[in-house]
Amino acid sequence: MSQFLVTGLNGLSYAFILFLLAAGFSLTFGVMGVLNLAHGALFMFGAYVGLQAVDSFGSFWVGIVLAFVALAVIGLGLYYFFLRHLYNKVPEQAVLTIGIAIIVANVVLWIWGPRAKIMQTPPGLTGVIHVGTLAFPIYRVFIIVVGLVILGILWWMQDRTRTGAIIRAGMDNKEMTVALGVNYGLVSTLIFLLGMALAGLAGVMGAPILGAYPSMGDNLLLLALIVVVVGGTGYIQGTMLGALVIGLFDTFGKAYVPQVALFFSYIVFLIVLLVRPSGLIGRRVF
Amino acid sequence: MADITKGVAVDATAPASRRVPRSLVEVVAPVAVIAVIILVLPLFIPSFVSSLVTKMMIYGLFGMSLNIIWGYAGIPSFGHAAFFGVGGYATGILILKVGISSFWINFLLAVAVAAVIAAILGVPAFRVFGVGAGNTNPIYFLLATIAFGELLSRMAIALRPLTGGSTGLAGIPEPDLGLGFRITSGRLYYLTFIVVAVCLYLMYRVVNSHFGYALRGIHDNEKRMQALGYNTWLYKYTSWIIAGVFGAVAGIMFAYFGSVMAPNSLAMSTSDISFLLVIMGSSTTFLGPLVASVVYVGIEYLASVYLPDRWPIIFGALFVFTIMVTPQGLGVEILKGWRRLVRGAS
Repeated sequence: MSQFLVTGLNGLSYAFILFLLAAGFSLTFGVMGVLNLAHGALFMFGAYVGLQAVDSFGSFWVGIVLAFVALAVIGLGLYYFFLRHLYNKVPEQAVLTIGIAIIVANVVLWIWGPRAKIMQTPPGLTGVIHVGTLAFPIYRVFIIVVGLVILGILWWMQDRTRTGAIIRAGMDNKEMTVALGVNYGLVSTLIFLLGMALAGLAGVMGAPILGAYPSMGDNLLLLALIVVVVGGTGYIQGTMLGALVIGLFDTFGKAYVPQVALFFSYIVFLIVLLVRPSGLIGRRVF
Repeated sequence: MADITKGVAVDATAPASRRVPRSLVEVVAPVAVIAVIILVLPLFIPSFVSSLVTKMMIYGLFGMSLNIIWGYAGIPSFGHAAFFGVGGYATGILILKVGISSFWINFLLAVAVAAVIAAILGVPAFRVFGVGAGNTNPIYFLLATIAFGELLSRMAIALRPLTGGSTGLAGIPEPDLGLGFRITSGRLYYLTFIVVAVCLYLMYRVVNSHFGYALRGIHDNEKRMQALGYNTWLYKYTSWIIAGVFGAVAGIMFAYFGSVMAPNSLAMSTSDISFLLVIMGSSTTFLGPLVASVVYVGIEYLASVYLPDRWPIIFGALFVFTIMVTPQGLGVEILKGWRRLVRGAS
């Protein structure tokens, strides 16, 4: 029973890392219909920026801020110079961003070398919480809390703010939204920026658990897209649900049936595609 | 070749001022020129260049097989390496683990395996095809096909006794044709040429058949094709299997060529090559991916000599350059020049 609870908590914290990873992807992909396959590589870049900041400044929090800002700037450049010109051309977006992902992976290899790095758990978040006879690492609880806060902010933004209303309107009919005098270009640029910045934040947050190595981008990208497809696009709660399903299935799979755990999440993914192709909470993009 | 000229005769309804029929200009002449060049080439070039040309032919076939679904049917698959890898792995497993040495039997079995895998993967793939933004932007289909390749490469890693795990299969011998002579690397060049040429001919027949025109129709307007009574799902599904089979042929030849198969050859990094070839060569011309593969393999070779560590940056830059600068692809540009050459300035 206690092993079940610990596995459950590990699964939950993994689910929230997945949520942080996929939230930015889901924002840009589900909301704007921009398929950014460089998301995994940029997540990794964020992790490396965080590691470098911890090395240089000795502070985890500076790392988070730096990665957030760096990725927002990269996102702005990516959107302004490239993706803006490829509106509604999804295969082209995919090919372009795959190229960018390959470049980013090699630049990271160039700057930081091929060896995997792992970040020390930041001071103040080390140690464990005792609940009865069980011990939970504080850092994993911290990830769950941050994930919940970001989920709350994004959910509030989506349902309760003018920005959210514009996004939802643009998702249904972009031409009509623009015709109503909404500066949709500005809003979509900001959303893309936010999505990228979230990837940077998630990269640093995940670094003490996932580590960082130059080839991790592809794996992370696949996880993100599996989460988004399983959960369903267009709603942030869909992403959360997808992250929970994949995170828990994967963790319990690894704990109880390790032989097939390597592609457990792919099997869930295929089943969801066959049974409910639009995802668990899905709506049509555009 | 007799049937190609028959097709030309049908095409001859063009005005008398344009004497040269389209398909003669666009397909037969370039194919003949390329074939002659390739056949006499090994007499003049060092062997390492002829091995590069072998690679160009294999990658060209790989890209053109993807182009059947991408360019003609408008189905942008991002997991085409799944079939490439399945073909290669099937060959390697049949030789090294099962012990069948005959090239012909291996070839047929590997193609059959790939067709079965394509038939299985096609069912979920086309279930999601229209989901998302509809047929103009099959987002979910893209994501699903990416996952197929990764799923197969994970399976290749997990099934260690059969596939050699993450190190893959090494030591695939030269093909045994049962003709009483060894296929050295120089002869593999000719074998690849024959296989690729036959495949090109078959693909040409496919895309210029009634079936191929139906695929073009589905690309342009699927609803209309449905209204005309076409079972468009079946057409797309069949084209997916056909593309998978030709992709597998490229994989089989690649297994013999490189003599190793690694899980990587099923994964996204190999799929990347196939759709770079399609986009770079242009999805609207039949021979485009072959042209792109010549450029790609050439650049890859130069990079491996001068900048081996920075090759991925060049590779990535090729994607960005293609999308931002020549979105139509090299094939269209070359075709324009070729037509101008044949018909005079017009």
